[in-house]
Amino acid sequence: MLGRVLCLLVVVMCASAEVRFNRDIRPILSDRCFPCHGPDAANRKTALRFDVEAGAKPAIVAGDAAKSPLMQRVISTNKTLRMPPAYLGHDRLPDKEIELLRQWIDQGAQWEKHWSLIPPKRVKVPGNGVDYYVRARLEREGWKPSPETARATLIRRLSLDLTGLPPTPEEVDAFLKDSSVNAYEKQVDRLLASPRYAERMAMRWLEVARYADTNGYQTDGIRDMYRWRDWVIGAFARNMPFDRFTVEQLAGDLLPNATLDQKIATGFLRNHRTTSEGGIVPEEFRVEYVAERAETTATVWLGMTFGCARCHDHKYDPISQKDFYRLFAFFNNVPEKGQVYNFGNEEPMIKAPTTEMSRKLENLDRELADAEREWERVQPQLAKDQRKWERNKPGEWSITRGLILHLPMDGAAAPLESVEGKAGAALRFDGAKELAAGAVAGFDYLDPFSIGAWIKPEAGDGAIVTKLEDYFEAEGYGLYLIGGKLQLVITKRFTDIGLRVETESPVTPNQWQHVLAVYDGTRYATGTALYINGVEQKLKVLFDDLNYPLGNKEPLRIGAGGGKRFRGAIDEVVLYRRALTPKEALAMPVLETVPEIAAMKPERRTKAQAAKLRLAFLEESAPAALKRLEEARLARKRFYGSIPTVMVMKESPGIRDTFLLKRGAYDAPGEKVTAGVPAVLPAFGERPENRLGLAQWLTDPEHPLTARVTVNRYWQMLFGQGLVKTVEDFGSQGEWPVQMELLDWLAAEFVASGWDVKGLLKTIVMSGTYRQSSRVTPELLERDPENRLLARGARFRLPADVVRDQALAVAGLLVEKTGGPSVKPYQPPGLWQELAGGSGYKQGSGEDLYRRSLYTYWRRTVAPPSMITFDAPNRETCSVRAVRTNTPLQALNLMNDVAYVEASRALAVRGGIGEMFRIVLSREPSAAEFAALQQAHDGFLSYYRANPGEAERFLSHGESPRDKSLDAAGHAARAAVASLILNLDEAITKE
Amino acid sequence: MEFTRRHFFSRTASGLGIAALASLLPRELSAAKGLSGLPHFAPKAKRVIYLFQSGGPSQMELFDHKPKLQEMAGQEMPESVRKGQRLTTMSASQSSLPLVPSMFAFKQHGASGAWVSELLPYTAKIADQLTFVKSLHTQAINHDPAVTFLQTGAELAGRPSIGAWLAYGLGAETENLPSFVVMISPGSGGGGQPLYDRLWGSGFLPTRYQGVKFRSVGDPVLYLSNPDGFPAENRRLYLDALEKLNRAKLDDYGDPEIATRIAQYEMAFRMQSSVPELTDLSKEPPRTFELYGPDSRKPGTFSYNCLLARRLAERGVRFIQLFHRDWDHHGGLPEGLPKRCKETDQPAASLVEDLKERGMLDDTLVLWGGEFGRTVYCQGRLTKDDYGRDHHPRCFTMWMAGGGMKPGVSYGETDEFSYNVVSDPVHVHDLHATMLHTLGIDHTKLTFQYQGRHFRLTDVHGKVVKEILG
Repeated sequence: MLGRVLCLLVVVMCASAEVRFNRDIRPILSDRCFPCHGPDAANRKTALRFDVEAGAKPAIVAGDAAKSPLMQRVISTNKTLRMPPAYLGHDRLPDKEIELLRQWIDQGAQWEKHWSLIPPKRVKVPGNGVDYYVRARLEREGWKPSPETARATLIRRLSLDLTGLPPTPEEVDAFLKDSSVNAYEKQVDRLLASPRYAERMAMRWLEVARYADTNGYQTDGIRDMYRWRDWVIGAFARNMPFDRFTVEQLAGDLLPNATLDQKIATGFLRNHRTTSEGGIVPEEFRVEYVAERAETTATVWLGMTFGCARCHDHKYDPISQKDFYRLFAFFNNVPEKGQVYNFGNEEPMIKAPTTEMSRKLENLDRELADAEREWERVQPQLAKDQRKWERNKPGEWSITRGLILHLPMDGAAAPLESVEGKAGAALRFDGAKELAAGAVAGFDYLDPFSIGAWIKPEAGDGAIVTKLEDYFEAEGYGLYLIGGKLQLVITKRFTDIGLRVETESPVTPNQWQHVLAVYDGTRYATGTALYINGVEQKLKVLFDDLNYPLGNKEPLRIGAGGGKRFRGAIDEVVLYRRALTPKEALAMPVLETVPEIAAMKPERRTKAQAAKLRLAFLEESAPAALKRLEEARLARKRFYGSIPTVMVMKESPGIRDTFLLKRGAYDAPGEKVTAGVPAVLPAFGERPENRLGLAQWLTDPEHPLTARVTVNRYWQMLFGQGLVKTVEDFGSQGEWPVQMELLDWLAAEFVASGWDVKGLLKTIVMSGTYRQSSRVTPELLERDPENRLLARGARFRLPADVVRDQALAVAGLLVEKTGGPSVKPYQPPGLWQELAGGSGYKQGSGEDLYRRSLYTYWRRTVAPPSMITFDAPNRETCSVRAVRTNTPLQALNLMNDVAYVEASRALAVRGGIGEMFRIVLSREPSAAEFAALQQAHDGFLSYYRANPGEAERFLSHGESPRDKSLDAAGHAARAAVASLILNLDEAITKE
Repeated sequence: MEFTRRHFFSRTASGLGIAALASLLPRELSAAKGLSGLPHFAPKAKRVIYLFQSGGPSQMELFDHKPKLQEMAGQEMPESVRKGQRLTTMSASQSSLPLVPSMFAFKQHGASGAWVSELLPYTAKIADQLTFVKSLHTQAINHDPAVTFLQTGAELAGRPSIGAWLAYGLGAETENLPSFVVMISPGSGGGGQPLYDRLWGSGFLPTRYQGVKFRSVGDPVLYLSNPDGFPAENRRLYLDALEKLNRAKLDDYGDPEIATRIAQYEMAFRMQSSVPELTDLSKEPPRTFELYGPDSRKPGTFSYNCLLARRLAERGVRFIQLFHRDWDHHGGLPEGLPKRCKETDQPAASLVEDLKERGMLDDTLVLWGGEFGRTVYCQGRLTKDDYGRDHHPRCFTMWMAGGGMKPGVSYGETDEFSYNVVSDPVHVHDLHATMLHTLGIDHTKLTFQYQGRHFRLTDVHGKVVKEILG
């Protein structure tokens, strides 16, 4: 079958007799010869190569095919001589290809530079360029274009294409009634100005950008990139020129005085999959991320398969392996990790407030500043108040806020020995025994906590306070002395998930000293502090990769745990469920009571004593200004914490060296390379050798690829396939554009218009070519089955998101709200658990069920089933090529999924058979169609009249309320018809 | 309603050149037919049942008997064996790598004398029908890339899975069921490494070749059942009207896609009866449930899935893949491993027996195995009755049965640590090449052009392991 299509096409394409190298010959050489005689030096069997003219000289006698070794070898009957070689499993070349080679050589064997590397030239043409070229071509074939399609069909087509939603009956009527000459153009302008246009365009870009709500590998942890999606929608809504759209996404962070929006835009390069799988070699995956960015950028902007050159020189295109790593180098300078956080965004990331959030944050900042000023203002008064309070003989005070355990260690705790302590008695540990403190203090990795104690160590190693299984590499947390130094350990898995910090200086042996460990719950070593006698210690970070919840049911142990035992005395153990402040840390070791300090002369008090007194005073007197300050701080902190983040691009200070990686392996570095572009592409010039330079280079008006590749993608969106069908490959294995001049004209105009996307789309949809009827005549089908020459309009099934959005729209259920976090519409229960366990998919409710599909939560490893069934790309990697299949699973989905059953019920309330038909298809049913629907309706009706309980059940699907005043049997029968209409081929097709 | 292509042609001709339609219509329907020229030669196997044990079962406790380890228990792993090979970061920074022997006893079984662990008594009984490959090796060291590699021949996502390649190459033998079906069982612990839909995805092949997941909760196939309150009689009425309207559209517009759509709705209707018929076990005799074990009555268990696998095979499904989760025993291996064995041993062995009794084993290739093996050294805590093992890509064991394999053979050998392969290594690419070979496919010739390149399941590698073929 495929063969047949090809053969028809070849007939179409070869109507002009002259053989052309780029169109006819290069594809043969590329596919048949390049693997061994092409750009890949390592695989070249001899010096002979067919990717460059000079290399092919020995095999070709221009003008004389019979004398050319190339020809002799391909037609040889000797299997050992014949090319391509039989031993590689190849058969003799097809006669057609041999004939083309013969003609080409006989005609002089003219070579051409690969077509897509020659910049398109701007040409002036009369009228709409699309029609000019398409019609010229049809004339050459002796064909005529199809007539313009019916107006109702046209407005539905246009509306679905530009907004992803069908027109309302009112919109259809308005268009049908509008007899002005520019009636159609008015519709085009109206739809392009609609906010729905931006959402529609954003959906396609999300697929290109492999946008998702989860990381993709292994446990598929969550991420949150919706602020980047908001940026995309905004960019399309404002019709951001495509060159700026490019620069901001590839290098927004490098623009001078980059705005928040420009930084958010770079999320494009962080949308790739990441892994948090335990045990991976992080560098292996960091390299993977960098390579993925390079490959995606090459696919999206260059239409080149750079990924093929990752392990070896490209087999078909002039891209060396070195070229791949030169492109790689642009993306290799990000301060990032190979193993990422499993429960949220990973660095580098930024806070990405919406305008509204920014305003609220400003208000909170203002209130905080006011509160601080107020706090300063009341200081003199407070000082007076404190002196008065001191004179009034205050009682003893200690830090009790957040205190969850205080062990004074004063009583007997056999078999431990009671000794003289720092405050009352203490317990002495002998390096063997322990004190079990019970099932308390089960802090997890995001809980702030503080652990304090007095210790008098007799040995350099020992456990002070722990909560983990009794071996050092166990899961949990603990405060230790290791090698005489104080060490705080929080461990999930000792070898790769945890946090360990120790003091640079040792504690003093055989002396009492106060130790305090503070952790603020931010999971980084920067959030820890260790104090000895109230003095913050310099820390050495031993391990800093805490990214996973802890689980252990061990009791809290004093003087033991982690396989260590304490030797020496311990006194006054305290645990807090919060991070103590430096002032509190300073005050804690102060043994003098508040009354004692109050009685001292202020100038004789130590700093620590003064701090304790001050803390006691503030807590007891609770001045209003302090309360206000603390509340303002908390409110700001809470709100700031709720502001979404987005992962972005950032450059590390300095440049990370990039090496060619042999066989693509992360641990096999070869030659060192610098950022750059392949020699066959335009020179990089004086641009900065970073992502910004790369983005500027890509959007240079003279660049031969970017504009072509981009207009081709938009063409695909409207016509179902690109002018170059291999949307992802403009290289020598890619398709020769059937309408080369048209592609070039569109590309040149696009650049000349200032990369105006709306302008480009308008040009195309205004053309007569776009407006043709999509009827297929037997003759057209026979001669051009794939409609490459466009003698008819495009007719193809709607993309997955449009199928669903249309159903919601015609049912009147669609909730139109632009932007915001992802939502979780209906999904059959259990889909997440059966693959990954856990608590599974928590379906949303209310509005969340009825938002447009671009907001649907996208879990990469278990993507939304109805989207996948209708061929939506899975968002694992960049996807630019539209794929459409036609399967029974689609039929089941559309007939039985609660989303569509509910939509049918809702649509049934909007009118009778004729009206429902019109709402969905924008046209009146024919008499025969009406009769068929009526007949089905009557059948359903008699069933539901006879089985009223069934009618109730059929109307019970979905969360939206049902109008119970309607006759159930009638409603159910109409709902069944509504479903039928939604399942019509025409309903899910852009006609 | 019986719906055939002949029937279709006789009814859709109006207004259209019949010849044109005849050549163009079956673009989708011919998916059922596969590629012309395939199979490349006479196949031994017509179908595959692949019992994937996800997480990486330990070869040392199950098949790869290493008696010398008993003497070396607790000793440090010799560097001469490891030879600097990379470890996962889970054990790379472990302070010591102590050798740990299997806690479970081995015996030789059958005429072939195959060594099988006491944990697998049922498998042991059919040892003479199995082909053990003890020298399988892979390159990935972590689950995601390793499972992806076994499933698609590449560590990174994006390539088609084995089943998708077969659906694309060989087409389907049934029009009532998908040609590639996947079933998952979680293991009684409920945990284990997650799986991902892409493991049975079609990669860059058209999505119609992807595996269809048969589920144990809700509809076996997503959206299979008519909505509550909409019985089959209504559906028939509905589909008749739908066909009439779509056919009128086809007559008017002549787009062959409409003809395909009509056919797919009929196929959907057929699936609505063929799938429930498949999962209706009421006609299975009591002996069946005795054979597969008590779990075989419980949807969602490995045992139930094995029984369904046989029923799918009987109905012409080409590639049936079961995944059983939770074999990832980094710690607590002595407690966890016996449970997984108990869940899978009897049903897997019984499936082979059952196929044999029905005369189907000869043309059904059955495979059992995980994505990698486990290390000879202990990961984490080592006590007298507790230990764990880390991931080990350098050797692991898989067994195969039926479909052109040579029974009663053990192929390949590892060193006395079950660490390195010492003879007859079989790479994952070789396994794929061999699987395809049994199905009559030359693995170098089943290709698909994408991004300019002719992709294969075996990339540019793979050789058929002739020695294990019957």
